[in-house]
Amino acid sequence: MNARLKVLAAPLLAAWVAAAAAAPAAITLPPYEQATLGNGAQVALMTKRDTPMVAMTVLVRGGALADAPGREGTASLLASLMQKGAGTRNAVQFAEAIEGAGGELAISAGTESMSLGASFLARDAGLMIDLASDALLRPKLAADEFAKERSLAIQSIAAAKDSDPRALVAMYGDAWLFRGHPYGRPVGGDEQSLAAVTLDDLKRQYQAQVRGDRLIITVVGDFDAADVRRRLEQAFGGLPRATDPAPGVKAAPRETGRRVLLVDKPGATQTYFWLGNVGASRTDPERTAQAVVNTVFGGRFTSMLNTELRIKSGLTYGARSSFDRMAEPGAFDISSFTATDSTVPALDLALATLDRLHRDGIEAAALASSKTYLLGQFPPTLETNGAIAGRLAEMTLYGLGREDVDQFGARVAAVDEAASRAVIERTFPASGDLAIVLIGDAARIRNDVRKYGPVTEMKITDPRFAPR
Amino acid sequence: MFKQAAMAALAAATLAAGAANAAAVVPGADQIVSRTLPNGMKVVVWPDRDIPNVALYTWYRVGSRNERPGITGLSHFFEHMMFNGTKTRPPGDFDRVMEANGGRNNAYTSSDVTVYQDWFPASATELIFDLESDRMRNLDFDPKVVESERGVVYSERRSSVDNDNFGTLIEQMQATAYTAHPYQIPTIGWPSDIESWTIQDLQSYYQLYYAPNNAVMFVVGAVEPDEVFRLAERYLAGLQAQPAPPPVVTKEPGQHGERRLRVVREAQTPLIAMAWHAGAAPDRDSRVMEVLLAILASGDSSRLHQRLVEQEQAAVEVGSQLEAGFDPGLAWLYAVVPPGGDVAKTERLIDAEIARMAQDGPTPAELAKARNQALAGFWRGLETISGKAQALGTYEVFHGDYSKLFEAPAVYESITADDVRKAAATVMTRENRTVGIVEPKAPDAAVAQGGAR
Repeated sequence: MNARLKVLAAPLLAAWVAAAAAAPAAITLPPYEQATLGNGAQVALMTKRDTPMVAMTVLVRGGALADAPGREGTASLLASLMQKGAGTRNAVQFAEAIEGAGGELAISAGTESMSLGASFLARDAGLMIDLASDALLRPKLAADEFAKERSLAIQSIAAAKDSDPRALVAMYGDAWLFRGHPYGRPVGGDEQSLAAVTLDDLKRQYQAQVRGDRLIITVVGDFDAADVRRRLEQAFGGLPRATDPAPGVKAAPRETGRRVLLVDKPGATQTYFWLGNVGASRTDPERTAQAVVNTVFGGRFTSMLNTELRIKSGLTYGARSSFDRMAEPGAFDISSFTATDSTVPALDLALATLDRLHRDGIEAAALASSKTYLLGQFPPTLETNGAIAGRLAEMTLYGLGREDVDQFGARVAAVDEAASRAVIERTFPASGDLAIVLIGDAARIRNDVRKYGPVTEMKITDPRFAPR
Repeated sequence: MFKQAAMAALAAATLAAGAANAAAVVPGADQIVSRTLPNGMKVVVWPDRDIPNVALYTWYRVGSRNERPGITGLSHFFEHMMFNGTKTRPPGDFDRVMEANGGRNNAYTSSDVTVYQDWFPASATELIFDLESDRMRNLDFDPKVVESERGVVYSERRSSVDNDNFGTLIEQMQATAYTAHPYQIPTIGWPSDIESWTIQDLQSYYQLYYAPNNAVMFVVGAVEPDEVFRLAERYLAGLQAQPAPPPVVTKEPGQHGERRLRVVREAQTPLIAMAWHAGAAPDRDSRVMEVLLAILASGDSSRLHQRLVEQEQAAVEVGSQLEAGFDPGLAWLYAVVPPGGDVAKTERLIDAEIARMAQDGPTPAELAKARNQALAGFWRGLETISGKAQALGTYEVFHGDYSKLFEAPAVYESITADDVRKAAATVMTRENRTVGIVEPKAPDAAVAQGGAR
């Protein structure tokens, strides 16, 4: 495969480099203003007037890290409940106010922050800010709505378990890899933990976490900056500061050796697999070199993994790898799925491909291709108001400045063979050091997968994402 | 580039203030140009320099609607084979060369169309034209690749249909709602057909449907139209026009009685879906149906969400879908029933809400909401170069003219409460529908209990 890449792609590449006017253009963020309100809330505003729309992101530092053990899903339920009645509006009136204006406004919890995302017609920018501040500052947190939301959250997990397991395998993966570490807790909770969460838990978490100095507010789109600045100050400036420091987390140690979690889904005709180890953080100085290598290994269609498991063998519709980046290293994972009977050949091939990455590294042509690809595909990630608002907020959450975007091109250009070799050694796990999750028909694969390590089994209908 | 655009786009983007028949004024839309090559291939260009990238979408008028028993799924399989080698480029080269030059691609197949999408930095524009014209002219079918790609498509089928309860239900309902029209065919294909396509089937498909006169190309992004037309001339004008593909003549006869089906599966949550025969894409009735479905099932303030999810706890989730293509499609409503829930009760509640709508129609506030959602959705669709390419394609291919895109907000403005009421009363009838239910095979007692708390 590598030989083919060299012989066939390189001459064409050379011809196109010569013919093309230029390499992909690097982009920088348009200007934006930043401010800190009296209560510590951080604000960023960027006007962009190509559509009559405006987008807003509010992050609340903390997120599911604040959940008590055994009460996973508290932050997630709080996020849902803040939309179920706030300010002068009850739940249905709140939904009508958003939807009646053609707007979108949703609050969700992540591991390290709660996140409100909104998109409205420009004429409704004031309404958007009012609704967002009602939800965050004046949620009703009503008992009847809480009971409904909790029950819906539990039922939705059951529904997800009846649906495409591709959407679930990473939840089992994180829980299995990060056993006993906060990154292993399911953000949305599981059926068992949700049943234990009370309205008082939510109220306590609200009081402790949704505070002025925890807020990061970004607005991008077609609006009058002076007007929006004043409205934000009025809307959010009065929220008091937190009394305790935001919940933090220590890096989890790398996994050594292999262990297998087999999640039984009777009747499944495919096995869904996830192989992971502790990866790299959002602010890792080597993050760009890691991205360049991951693009070659499992981050695009012609990646080594997809070439082996899909293109050359037809074992799957897709195979990929990715980094989950947070304040501390999240998972690096390889995931794919295959017909039940080809479970072992597909897993063997995934492991062999990881071995090949360590043994051979990546060639100069693949390195160059990956760098051009990352540069060429970067601008569309910052095309919409919502994408820019989200990115500005996320950069602020992790203490990154505009250079995270503006220097992206320079960082990509600086990645050479030595840098790629170094991150393969340091950050990409060896095939012998993996937490492995398999969702499939256990009766048909149980015996065959023992060769990958000690097997722990659970049922997909168990009300958890991790074994007892 | 990014920077300049943000400052240049000061031209205020406003809708022609409420005027009933005026077109929406979209910044830059006056720069759209199109040209039809002598071989019948139309190329539409929308210059947009917000980012230094280009979205190039090529639409072919072929989908599972053009299939028959024995070759179901072939349009979609063909889509996969369009990436797998030509007489001048070996299998895999298309993707390798595109990615090495900063580009990415994908494609999708529906009942009606097959759409190829390329996203790339403007620096790769000529290369992409070369790659696209090569696969239109020189596609080759390597028997080994055909066999391995069969496995890929089978895996796709297992993922989206066989191991997904909704996927299974929808496939069965589609096959039941249509007795004659090829919309009964699942786009992914029936398993036995996936196993049986031949290279000859692929070759005849290439000949019939992959002709320049059966395709339209949309180029949106940081390009100069003159340069694009020069590239089109150089790379696409030499393609030979072909006789028009055979038309799909079968019309679905009227339905005169409810059809019901059950799918018994491993499941915790029962599902119920209903599908009614509705309109084709260009029909005004289809816009009315979108509004009706939005009022019934889109968002937390919708009628079915309020009644089923919030008030009665008879659903975990409700939703809707409208399939409107070249021929009359289906309007869908569905509900995910709580574990251990009573499906019959959920169905009665949906029926009651439809009856209420057919009797009284929507409130003025509901109608205003639906219009605002359509307007905001219109603008959200135009936020990206991909969204623009998709929107232009939809209007050009299904409505006959890309410029009708800009009339969409005015069409939604013209819809009245009585239009919506009538749609509920005349389309959403018992006689005109297919009802499908996923019934759990062996409910897990412990979890059912957990869910009921």
